[in-house]
Amino acid sequence: MSNQTATAGKPKRGVSLFSYSGEFGVTMTLEDMFAEIHSIGARGVEILANAHIEHYPDPDGEWLEHWDRLIEKYDLVPAEYGHWVDSRLYPGRELTSQESYEMLLRDFKLANRLGFKVLRTKLGVIDDDLTPVRNWKEFIEMALPMAEKYDVRMCPEIHAPTALKSRMVEEYVEFIEKTGTKHFGLNIDFGVFQTKRLPESEWEPGAFHLPEFKPSSVEDMIPLLKYVYCCHAKFVRVNEQFEEETIPYEQIVRTLIDHQWDGYLLSEYEGPWKNKTGVAVEQVRRQHVMLKRILGE
Amino acid sequence: MLEKECIQQRGFRNVEREGQIVGFQFNIRLVHYRGLWLSQLRPATVTVDGETFSGDQITWTIRGTTYRQSEFARHGDVHWGLLDLATITVAKEGGLASGSHEIEIQFSYSSSYIPPVADTLMGAHPHRRTLILV
Repeated sequence: MSNQTATAGKPKRGVSLFSYSGEFGVTMTLEDMFAEIHSIGARGVEILANAHIEHYPDPDGEWLEHWDRLIEKYDLVPAEYGHWVDSRLYPGRELTSQESYEMLLRDFKLANRLGFKVLRTKLGVIDDDLTPVRNWKEFIEMALPMAEKYDVRMCPEIHAPTALKSRMVEEYVEFIEKTGTKHFGLNIDFGVFQTKRLPESEWEPGAFHLPEFKPSSVEDMIPLLKYVYCCHAKFVRVNEQFEEETIPYEQIVRTLIDHQWDGYLLSEYEGPWKNKTGVAVEQVRRQHVMLKRILGE
Repeated sequence: MLEKECIQQRGFRNVEREGQIVGFQFNIRLVHYRGLWLSQLRPATVTVDGETFSGDQITWTIRGTTYRQSEFARHGDVHWGLLDLATITVAKEGGLASGSHEIEIQFSYSSSYIPPVADTLMGAHPHRRTLILV
């Protein structure tokens, strides 16, 4: 295989199709995105279920066959299935635990059919600190037997401004340890380590910015790694010297290598002009030059 | 492939019923990174050459089914995907004249993973485009 990626015991390269949001449907098809990932020698792919599965949540047989064919043709690994428990689905109330469970189960079945074992499970939040809905433990626990049956791992994403050392992460870890489950874990988004910001003038007008937050230190990731099934290799800009300007990638990836973490790093481009044709494709390519170098591929 | 803009040129036309022109329609795509359930959508307003339409003057047709805006809240099981055009039909007696028209559509949607105070802020900006009716 010419596109050999990381060997066992090391992080593996992948891409979240989120990166190509500005291209999907207007300049790139699903197949184009797969071909692009294949051509940069990455193997992991993250989809967003309600974006990339045609006629979600009920794709027809023809689409499912198309999916199988593309995975085989481009030699990709379904690495992470992004899905949501949209707690505010109906105006004026929050979903009950039963409704949330049913939403999870629907995605478990689809993810299983498409070959995914890791899910990025986005929960609804109730405040500015992104505290998840009050009944999350109840419906996640209800769903554990089905997660086992469908061989999937639900992973909330730890995303800035949330810190790795925070009450929220402690609660997730307590839940994992108390239940002893292998079907609930974490996805760390590298935006939590972001130490610099690009000047406002670099961004497109109206770009969304997170409020100021205190970055987590890279070492804070180490005790969590046994529960981390996937990472979002969030990035803001990789320059022409193939360096990420705002997130300490060298240190992050070396830490993962040192601890033999061997999950997928899924590129998530969230930099300036991300929806302008061509920008994200170039940025992901640059990021993979950088990742390849740090991984010693 | 779809047109890059939210408001699509293809599909812009007057709507005829029983020999009378009763309105006009155009297609939009969801310029977002994920699809939405109809109950997450909030009703749109459409402005054409300075004239504004809202509420049940506007219907949405998604994958062959037409919805009144006042029904959105109960359709938590109807999904608007990124590749599905939504046909916006606006009731306007006599429709629009052949020529250029300034079209604006504004709508918002709920995002449960965003702090509740900002629930419907994302994507709420208006989309504008000049369309030519032949």
